[in-house]
Amino acid sequence: MSIWPEERVATADSDLDTVDMTVNVGPQHPATHGVFRMVLTVDGELVVGCEPYIGYLHRGLEKLSENADYRQAMGWWDRTDYLAGMCCEGAYTMAVERLAGIEVPERAEYIRVIMMELSRINSHFMFLGAFGADVGSFGTSFVYAWRERERIYDLFEEVAGDRMFPTYFRIGGVTMDLPDNFESRCRWVLGSIKQGLEDFDGLLTGNEVFVERCKDLTPVTPEQAIAWGFTGPMLRATGVPWDIRKAEPYSVYPKIDFEIPVGLQGDVFDRFHVRLAECYQSVRIIEQCLEQMPEGRVLAPKLPKTLRINEGELYMPTEGTKGEYGVYLMARGGTNPYRAKLRSPSFCNLSALRELVVGSYVADAIIILGSLDIVLGEVDK
Amino acid sequence: MSDLPFGEVFFGLSWLDAIIRIVIVVLVMTLVVVYLTYGERKVVARFQMRLGPTRTGPIGLLQGFADAIKLLIKEDIRPRNADRWVFEFAPYLTFIPVFLVLVALPFARDWGVRNLALGMFFVFAVLGLNIVGVLMAGLGSGNKYALLGGVRAAAQMISYEIPLVVALLAVAMVAGTLDLNAIVAMQDTRPFILIQPLAFVIFFTAMLSELHRAPFDIPVAESEIVGGYFVEYSGIRWSMFQLAEYASLWAFSIFGSAIFLGGWQFPFGDDWGWGWQLVLTLIKSLIMIVLIFWVRATLPRLRMDQLMSFCWKALIEVSFALLLINGLFLYYDWPEPILAAVNWVGAILFLGGIYLRAARKPSTKNLVGSYKHAEVPNP
Amino acid sequence: MSAEPIIGEPEIAALVRERLPDIPFEASETKTYADLRVAPEHFLALVTGLRDDAELSFDLLRNIVALDMEEAGLEAKYQLYSFPHGHAVQITVAAPIPSCELPTLTGLYPAANWHEREAAEMAGLVFTGHPDPRNLLLEEDLRIHPLRKAHPLQKAEILQGIEDGPPGVEV
Repeated sequence: MSIWPEERVATADSDLDTVDMTVNVGPQHPATHGVFRMVLTVDGELVVGCEPYIGYLHRGLEKLSENADYRQAMGWWDRTDYLAGMCCEGAYTMAVERLAGIEVPERAEYIRVIMMELSRINSHFMFLGAFGADVGSFGTSFVYAWRERERIYDLFEEVAGDRMFPTYFRIGGVTMDLPDNFESRCRWVLGSIKQGLEDFDGLLTGNEVFVERCKDLTPVTPEQAIAWGFTGPMLRATGVPWDIRKAEPYSVYPKIDFEIPVGLQGDVFDRFHVRLAECYQSVRIIEQCLEQMPEGRVLAPKLPKTLRINEGELYMPTEGTKGEYGVYLMARGGTNPYRAKLRSPSFCNLSALRELVVGSYVADAIIILGSLDIVLGEVDK
Repeated sequence: MSDLPFGEVFFGLSWLDAIIRIVIVVLVMTLVVVYLTYGERKVVARFQMRLGPTRTGPIGLLQGFADAIKLLIKEDIRPRNADRWVFEFAPYLTFIPVFLVLVALPFARDWGVRNLALGMFFVFAVLGLNIVGVLMAGLGSGNKYALLGGVRAAAQMISYEIPLVVALLAVAMVAGTLDLNAIVAMQDTRPFILIQPLAFVIFFTAMLSELHRAPFDIPVAESEIVGGYFVEYSGIRWSMFQLAEYASLWAFSIFGSAIFLGGWQFPFGDDWGWGWQLVLTLIKSLIMIVLIFWVRATLPRLRMDQLMSFCWKALIEVSFALLLINGLFLYYDWPEPILAAVNWVGAILFLGGIYLRAARKPSTKNLVGSYKHAEVPNP
Repeated sequence: MSAEPIIGEPEIAALVRERLPDIPFEASETKTYADLRVAPEHFLALVTGLRDDAELSFDLLRNIVALDMEEAGLEAKYQLYSFPHGHAVQITVAAPIPSCELPTLTGLYPAANWHEREAAEMAGLVFTGHPDPRNLLLEEDLRIHPLRKAHPLQKAEILQGIEDGPPGVEV
């Protein structure tokens, strides 16, 4: 058993009898970011097989949503991508609104976009911190991430009264208007986020060891990425400039000027770098929203007390933090959806784990898993 | 130096004298380890914008003792499929060599357990035994993470011992002796880091690897193999691994500061008494320790093959070249300033090579601009 | 503005009919995309055509929804997207009633693998030719289909580790 692939070929021809070993990673393991389990078959340090097991966090979101009022179900959708609760709320409420034909006041749309982009930054910061820890930087990146995330959560608490699962959006708008000093507070947080991004840039992007670990690790071509169903930063890292906010725009994104950062070759470093660059774009979006936001109502007038939707179905894609967060809803009368289905980006990105991991080293398998940026609440629904 | 209290043999009995000195060193060492864990937590916390331990005692000073007591009263768990004797003896075998090293370390003039004429050789020889315990822990735990960690540790420690030893041999050639006290005494006007900087760079890198410190903490990688070879240990046996880790950290720092930073000798020499010499040694070793913590808080971890290729493709070659250069200078008896200059050029070239390798990576400035942008037309 | 369709392209059905004239399907509209309802025997031909035709080239399988339409049996809905042309479509196919069998799409879209495993365990569809037909989210030996309408929301008790019978539901 040798850790060098060239020699591995040599030993394979010799009479040495080696046995592959299976290593169980998870469901309780610091690198799996939740309750995810994968069984690696290793030959020395080389991974020759990988079997992912998911479902430890399956809570039956779809069944629950089918049995609840359109509004009641919102709290559960928050808890899918629990790092970016507002993005999930946004996708679900927009899907219901479109299904029911409800108009949302423009101010509410701007507030939603601000909240969704803050959530995106929040989620990406979680990725940056956890990924740094996966690569082995002893918690420094983690704590760097936590400073900004704490400030974003404080902002959420001021706006919505809750930090992780705000349930701030309503069908037809948002619960309540922003607090008085929101704009100055938000700008302060944005400044802090920019500083945090600079810190990350200094800590990780230019770090020789970090680059050495991540550069050229499992490059993915655009064709492979599309075939495996990658979306979001995973797809953009391969160089495909596809972002649902641009490709199939929703809410007020068409009025906002931002760019899509794309990677060069889809390796682990590009995935990291694209997410870092996306945070800058999110800051840009929020700044424009703060400038453009009109005054007015935040909840649509004359909403029915009980929402009943007669007939109809739709598949509503939104750009979640991990990729295409799509909501399928089918209504056949009554107060509940007949069928609710979540197209979770982490689930699709994770499904190619075996293809990405096999052939790399054990240490690389961990950071490849980290670079997928999965959230198990979303994978397991 | 007969006026120093520890300069002479206690009670005229050499065995009693040795026992007393070892007991003193072991007690001091335990205290130092307790405060090194505290110090690491504090120092790394400041690097990470945190406070570190603050609750136990004033500014958390008693945290180490609280941890030690907790570890002592914890249940000592042995997995069912572990090999009993191998598993239970492994902690002792990692921990005893480290304490044996203390026998040879010069803390002040005449302040050590024994002044060995082959002190440097003894330190290498004994520290190399560490690996036996690590391998035993890895193989005997009955855990695959531990196995991976143990095998990684064995490969890494054996590889990095070569540049470590060769770099120090180069220094010993310049000094002309392996006696640690004599080496320290030679540095009364200039520490050896000034004339052997390249050796110091190699020594520091290899030391990080021998200590399993970042960026070479591959055998104990928490995010991959959850602690490596000591993953199955708990309570007192786990704390022995910790003890060995921090003790060897301290031992290596004293060793390095004696050889490169002038130990108790530079810059005041014999003008000061043994008390100040002890303080000087402590300060110099602390500088090295804080340097190690700094590296740990900043750098991510290398991969196993990168680590190995760095050792075999860079460090060993450079250290042999260093040995060759020093040999030439000594053979022809060229003056020391030129030797120092050549070594500085070597160190700058070595570090510059690493820097240039880093610089050829994508620029970190203008993060967004460095990536190509594509405008997607709105449909 | 969110009540307007995003990309609702009614012409996509006409385009598919023009490019793939041999395959019969019914076109309808959802709130976002066009929906093509196809019989199971033409399903694979339709998807292959959608993927391989240069004018259509639907190269991304976004999602698979398994639906229990009660008396009408099981249905599967496939959302496809085309990167070259930026258009999207939904395909609906009703599974044959007793067998619930549909051909697998893993040969065309590798991304279908986990989607189909999920649809199979949740609604009880059977994807013939699937390379890895195990449960994905549920216990491996569990043979219940929670997203069938007949499956109760409450009072469900999963029995595990009982020797005299497979784990199931006690209502």
